Amino acid sequence: MFEKLADIITNYVEVKKEDIKPESRFMEDLGFSSFDFMSMLGEVEEQLDIEINPEEAADIRTVQEAVDYLEKL
Amino acid sequence: MVKKMSQTYHTIRELLVAAEQNFGAQDAFRYKVKDSGDGSKKEVKVEAKTYTQFKNDTECFSAVLASLGEQGKHIAVIGPTSYSWVVAYFGIVGSGSVAVPLDANLPEEDLCELIDRADVTTLVYDEAKAGVAQMAENHCKGLKNIICTGEPQGLVNGLSMWNLIGRQSVGFDYTPKPEELATIMFTSGTTGKSKGVMLTHRNLAENATCLDMGLESGIVILSVLPIHHAYCLSMDILKGLSIGSVICINDSLLRVAKNIKLFEPNMILMVPLMIETLAKKLEEAAWIPAPLVKAKVFGKQFHTVCSGGAYLNPAYLEMFKKYGITIWQGYGMTECSPVISTNYGAFMKDGSVGKLMPNCEAKVVDEELWVKGSSVMQGYYKMPKETEETLSDGWLKTGDLGYVDQDGYIFLTGRKKNLIITPNGENVSPEEIENKLGDNRLVQEVLVRESEGAIEAEIFPDYEYAGKKKIKDMQGELQKIIDAYNKTAPLYKRIYKLKMRETEFEKNTTKKIKRF
Repeated sequence: MFEKLADIITNYVEVKKEDIKPESRFMEDLGFSSFDFMSMLGEVEEQLDIEINPEEAADIRTVQEAVDYLEKL
Repeated sequence: MVKKMSQTYHTIRELLVAAEQNFGAQDAFRYKVKDSGDGSKKEVKVEAKTYTQFKNDTECFSAVLASLGEQGKHIAVIGPTSYSWVVAYFGIVGSGSVAVPLDANLPEEDLCELIDRADVTTLVYDEAKAGVAQMAENHCKGLKNIICTGEPQGLVNGLSMWNLIGRQSVGFDYTPKPEELATIMFTSGTTGKSKGVMLTHRNLAENATCLDMGLESGIVILSVLPIHHAYCLSMDILKGLSIGSVICINDSLLRVAKNIKLFEPNMILMVPLMIETLAKKLEEAAWIPAPLVKAKVFGKQFHTVCSGGAYLNPAYLEMFKKYGITIWQGYGMTECSPVISTNYGAFMKDGSVGKLMPNCEAKVVDEELWVKGSSVMQGYYKMPKETEETLSDGWLKTGDLGYVDQDGYIFLTGRKKNLIITPNGENVSPEEIENKLGDNRLVQEVLVRESEGAIEAEIFPDYEYAGKKKIKDMQGELQKIIDAYNKTAPLYKRIYKLKMRETEFEKNTTKKIKRF
């Protein structure tokens, strides 16, 4: 999941895949805007054919938290 | 043959009646619904409502409010954009009541405080906000009715909006007057306490309809912005209905790209933050011919973005033009219902936030832009001091520095008021956040500001206190304070940058921290 997510992340912000760490924070470290983040989750939804709850997703701060959340779905 | 409609309406009811007469059988709204089918995976399908169905539903909801004895009262609406939300809004204002749209993302305590402060007696809420309804039922003493747009659960006396509507018949007999109060919208204040902007039917209806932007009836609009904001309510909904557009409802910011493919809009109202993200999507495939990229991201039929709410880097206008998309940059504030000026059609000027609206005049006082006209608010609800500070003999002090050229185009040069305008158009009061952070003993002084599109807090910690408490990792401790605050704050008010300083802030003569 981490690998898949890292690939998608690089479509939204200018960061090398190898620089994305589990503890990287989307906004502070990777430079996501809130709408970048929402759009990325939308792409994750489509690629993985899952449904994300936007209210729950608002509490995700790090890449690891996103991986944990997605794996639970 | 598509009709071009252009007429100024003076009440929201008048606007709706005319729209129904002109476009009755045409779709007014399209939105997604979930169809469980066999009970396994939920399928999504699109449902539509015509102008006639919509008008009928709003009249029934007006009748519901009258039957509850709530005609003329203050009715709050909380929830994301939905067909029910819009029916509730038009039903409220059409009955002569005052709609109070509230930000569904605010913490529940804050929403209850606003319900009390706005003297709300009926609450209409979306199922997703059941927590607020439960808290309001227990704590908001003035509330008489709580109506859910779905099934009310967990409430002692919850009502179901569509059950109530089903018991009424079409044709509610009431004609609101242009000067009647229609809406109270809350906006961030510079003092930290949000202010209820009072807007009449005339304020809103004339703002939405006094300018013919050359849009054709049948134009498909995807509504993506939060509906409790004046920009979305006025430009997507009121203007959209007045010109006979098909308004498609975006169910979540997560799904804008998906919904663009589904609804195939011609136009979307956006804030700069969205334009920036979509620009990246366009540029991602820059080696492919521009028309193909545009077709992939927005669809072939797409042609216009209206931008408002915050500053947009003019470079995006040129960039989108390459893909055959025009960006109409506008300017406004809730206190002006909200549009003050807009670029559109052939009326565009580089560097300008657009031509002054026909119902608006402007002047510059000490470099600050003041505007006057039929869309200027009546004042802030129960805040006479703040009203007096903002309105002067009918002139609205915008807090923005700028000028109007000889052709009536507005150019902005800076801000006078100390308010953070985030790239998604939300207004955030730095003092509100500073006060919250300042409650912590470790924070001696704090300054909150915008930095490269994000909210930043700069803190001068209380080193003496830290010494007593044997705090070694000061940055880590301060980050914990920020994290705790962020947990309670809606996304747009969260702090994403922390700076620590070792010396006190420079002060002005009144001992206040110098902001700039």
